[in-house]
Amino acid sequence: MTTMPPAHLRLTTVDSEDTVRIELHGDLDYDTADDLLAEVTAVLGARPHLDDLHLHCAGLGTVDSMGLSILLMVRRRTGQAGVRLHLDDRPAVLDRLLTITGSLNYLTGSSPGGGNSASLDVGEAPGAGDEARAARPTGPDGTS
Amino acid sequence: MSIHTPHRAATGDTVGQLADDLWTAVSAGDERTATEVVLGALERGVDPESVLLDVIARVQGKVGEEWAANRLSVAQEHAATAINERAVAALSLHPAARTAPTRGRITVACVDGEWHALPARLLAEVLTLRGWRVDYLGAQVPGPHLIAHLHRTNSDAVALSSSIATRLPTAHAAITACQAIGVPVLVGGAAFGPDGRYAFLLDADAWAPDARAAADRLAAGPLPRPRRDHQQLDDLPHLADQEYTLITRNSAALVRTVFTALEAAFPALRTYSELQREHTAEDLAHIVEFLGTALYLGDEDLFASFITWTAQILTARGVPARSLPPTLSILAAELKDFPRAVCILEHGTAALTRPDHGSRPYAPVDRSTAESAS
Amino acid sequence: MVSTKPQSGAGTEHGSAWGEAPYPVLVADAQGAVVLRNAAAGALLPAAGPGTRFHDVVPAWLSAADQAVRTSGAKAAQEADAPLSGVIGDRSFEAHPSAREDGTVAWWLVDDTDHLLAREALRLERTRTAFLTEASSTLLASLNLGRCMDVTASLAAEHLCDAALVIAPTHGRRLPVVTCLRDGTPSLSHESVDPDDVPGLGEALRGFPPVPSRWIDPSAAPDWMVPGEFGEVGSIVITPLPGHGVPAGALVLLRRADSAAFTDSEEVFARLFAARAGAAMSAARLYAEQTSITDVLMRELLPPSLHQISGVDYAGGYRPSADHERIGGDFYDVHPAAVDGEASLVTLGDVCGKGLEAAVLTGKIRNTLHALLPLADDHQRMITLLNTALLNSHHTRFATLVLASAVRAGNEVQLRLTSAGHPTPLVVRANGTVEEAETRGTLVGAMPQAPAHTTTLTLAPGESCVLYTDGITEAEGGPMGGVQFGEARLKRILAECAGMPSESIVERVQMLAAQWIGTGRHDDMAVVVISAPRTHHLSAVDGHTRGRFTA
Repeated sequence: MTTMPPAHLRLTTVDSEDTVRIELHGDLDYDTADDLLAEVTAVLGARPHLDDLHLHCAGLGTVDSMGLSILLMVRRRTGQAGVRLHLDDRPAVLDRLLTITGSLNYLTGSSPGGGNSASLDVGEAPGAGDEARAARPTGPDGTS
Repeated sequence: MSIHTPHRAATGDTVGQLADDLWTAVSAGDERTATEVVLGALERGVDPESVLLDVIARVQGKVGEEWAANRLSVAQEHAATAINERAVAALSLHPAARTAPTRGRITVACVDGEWHALPARLLAEVLTLRGWRVDYLGAQVPGPHLIAHLHRTNSDAVALSSSIATRLPTAHAAITACQAIGVPVLVGGAAFGPDGRYAFLLDADAWAPDARAAADRLAAGPLPRPRRDHQQLDDLPHLADQEYTLITRNSAALVRTVFTALEAAFPALRTYSELQREHTAEDLAHIVEFLGTALYLGDEDLFASFITWTAQILTARGVPARSLPPTLSILAAELKDFPRAVCILEHGTAALTRPDHGSRPYAPVDRSTAESAS
Repeated sequence: MVSTKPQSGAGTEHGSAWGEAPYPVLVADAQGAVVLRNAAAGALLPAAGPGTRFHDVVPAWLSAADQAVRTSGAKAAQEADAPLSGVIGDRSFEAHPSAREDGTVAWWLVDDTDHLLAREALRLERTRTAFLTEASSTLLASLNLGRCMDVTASLAAEHLCDAALVIAPTHGRRLPVVTCLRDGTPSLSHESVDPDDVPGLGEALRGFPPVPSRWIDPSAAPDWMVPGEFGEVGSIVITPLPGHGVPAGALVLLRRADSAAFTDSEEVFARLFAARAGAAMSAARLYAEQTSITDVLMRELLPPSLHQISGVDYAGGYRPSADHERIGGDFYDVHPAAVDGEASLVTLGDVCGKGLEAAVLTGKIRNTLHALLPLADDHQRMITLLNTALLNSHHTRFATLVLASAVRAGNEVQLRLTSAGHPTPLVVRANGTVEEAETRGTLVGAMPQAPAHTTTLTLAPGESCVLYTDGITEAEGGPMGGVQFGEARLKRILAECAGMPSESIVERVQMLAAQWIGTGRHDDMAVVVISAPRTHHLSAVDGHTRGRFTA
């Protein structure tokens, strides 16, 4: 295998009344992830009353740790803006990454507020703090 | 012989007995006994260099032979090697092996991709015993690390080790890079051929068949400073035909194509498990890698001896390997635009079908990857 | 061979044609007496009047040539193409003989002094240019200061003088000096001297104000400047080595008393050489300074080498994504217990990003974990505190990691394992079974909470726990290309590693992953293996473990 130029990330933004949908095609990685953050930042700036932001993930290729970092930043920004973030049509590899890193629930939970709504389903998480366990969500569990 | 230790050469008998004892311990995975054998020898005044080269190196050679003959499992082979390495480490800390540096500085390293560190480690210890200041960089040293190290340290020479022929193109790059910054290179290891022919082909400044000879060569006087106007291509003008580059660069695609053609020729291949298919593909990749190396060096015999050796390894494991010649002919058909490659493959087929090999039944080739063979 | 001019001259015999020829012409008869000479010859060799003996009045070389012509003929006496030549007075002449049947020989003398001078100047210039080119390429090949000093000293000793010293500026008390005699090998010494005691040396080493080469009185040269076996010094010149805006040192050239003194042009030439040597030495010095800074900073970021601690075997291996780097975004450490009998803490993790930036974040995490060691018996608490320490409003650079507390209990090793969003550690049992440790948790440094679940397990003698980063499993390649190494393959390989020593498992995983990748791109890859040492021998391996030749 020779070194290949990284596949570019293509972003398509589809606007409707209280929803914005961004379709992601290609790799979300070290070289491209910042593009997504810039796009989301632009959307949030242009639409102060937005309710829902959908990232359409079916066309996603590789997501590396920088890609995940940017998704976490997107989640933080949308949370601060009171916008619900949805990661739609997630490929299995993305689900797997989010599961291993324990970030699935945080990124896909319905609450727009902060907090990663502790997401462990196995046994006790000693010292995790009461609020972590109290805030257990009803959505899909991140670590099953 | 170390110049700082009194004359304490062991007799052949003693050394032979020590090697037997160490082999018994190593093959049983008994690290404690192995270390005791080595340290006990030092306590009794056996020359440390002799313990390294006539005992430990000999036992390590046997580990490789036993593996090739399928009398050691992979795990046993690794355990034996690890115990030998720990024995070397124990020896190097023993007071009998303590030597103050009185000579210059030598960097000892394995070529990138070379995982067999023990021969280089043994050389590093021998050179230390003989009063050199040694920087031992270990297994698989990337070229840029080696060069950065040389810029930092002003070594008198580099001793470069490689056991696998397929690392020779990488070794060549490392040799040229060291020489370009004015540091001469002594090479050693099975990769360079029993007579060192590839060392000379790749314009290394010196070659040694074993650690003792390498130490003697370095003690005999400084290696000549390399020529500065030396270019890699000067050594291997045949590389201008690009066959090496094109085939190496596209080896994955080549393996895929040949694999498909093999499936057509051997329907049994389709019933293979995923793992078996992968092993077959790895064997193909290995054949292509050796073909690439033979192209790089312009040496048909290298490929021929690899392919007959592969046949022997397969036979030792009771693996039928009927498809080796057809595999080579499929490869040759695929590479019909590469005259040197075709020539090398035909040479390999001829070697396989000579009477001493031809009578054996061959079946679809499975694992012949022999990364642990030395 | 006889040139055409003398032949045409000889043809006129007694005429006045050669009598007034611009070339000196001398004719000697068979008895060796000068019989004729023209005006030019008279001016050149006033003593060689007609009747004198040719032998007595011409230089020896011409006399010998005359003898040769008489014994073996004009053609044989002259070497193939090279004309006879030699010095008369302070000029150089080519001599062309023309033998006649009556036994006389006419010698035509052609003054080629200016031609020779021009040729000599050209040759010298070519030699010097070649030398400077060679010097430049030799010097620029190395970024090692010691090597540059050696090369400078030996080139200078070979081409410029009988012995050369290269002196480097220093911040210390002792002056590094490389000395080289002609045809010798350079040797380094350190002299405890004040450079200002030698005229011109202090200025040369400071590089300011700019100073020209300086002659010093050989008798005033300090002892350390003159190599022991050198003999009497005839001349010494100290030339500054100009660097890139920083002083690179000084070059001292010595000639023996019986050697010619330095000419002006030699001194200019020495300065040209010094400029090249100085440039190379200051580049090497800058490189060395940068490298030592990098080394000091990097030392903290490099993965440690692991070994046995308190009866538990540890081994680790690391390969950064870029071959020219030694550090990256993966890290591991083993912290021995403060109190004997308590568990050591193993950490292995991966920060997002790559290269130096990622490495700096690993340094921060490793320091934080080190500070949290007193809490090592409570993995969740460590993770929570680490999460808080890393949270930053500006970015979401996160890390995933595994904490493992290991303690020897009898022959076994007790392990507590906690994954904070990291690939699950694998346990290699004695029988070749590979299990996933049941721990899971969330990454740290990007989310407000970091809950994690800890698991405990026991390793029997010869069993191992393998911590790794996803650079291994996500490595792309394989014989057909484009296939991930993957967890299944890793587990299969580990199954073959049952009973192996920890460092062999690390090496085998690294080797197979590296071979899988081939020459392709890859991420940082780290592996740590924690093993319960085998008590005696390879009992764990029954010798029937399938090798790689499973058909």
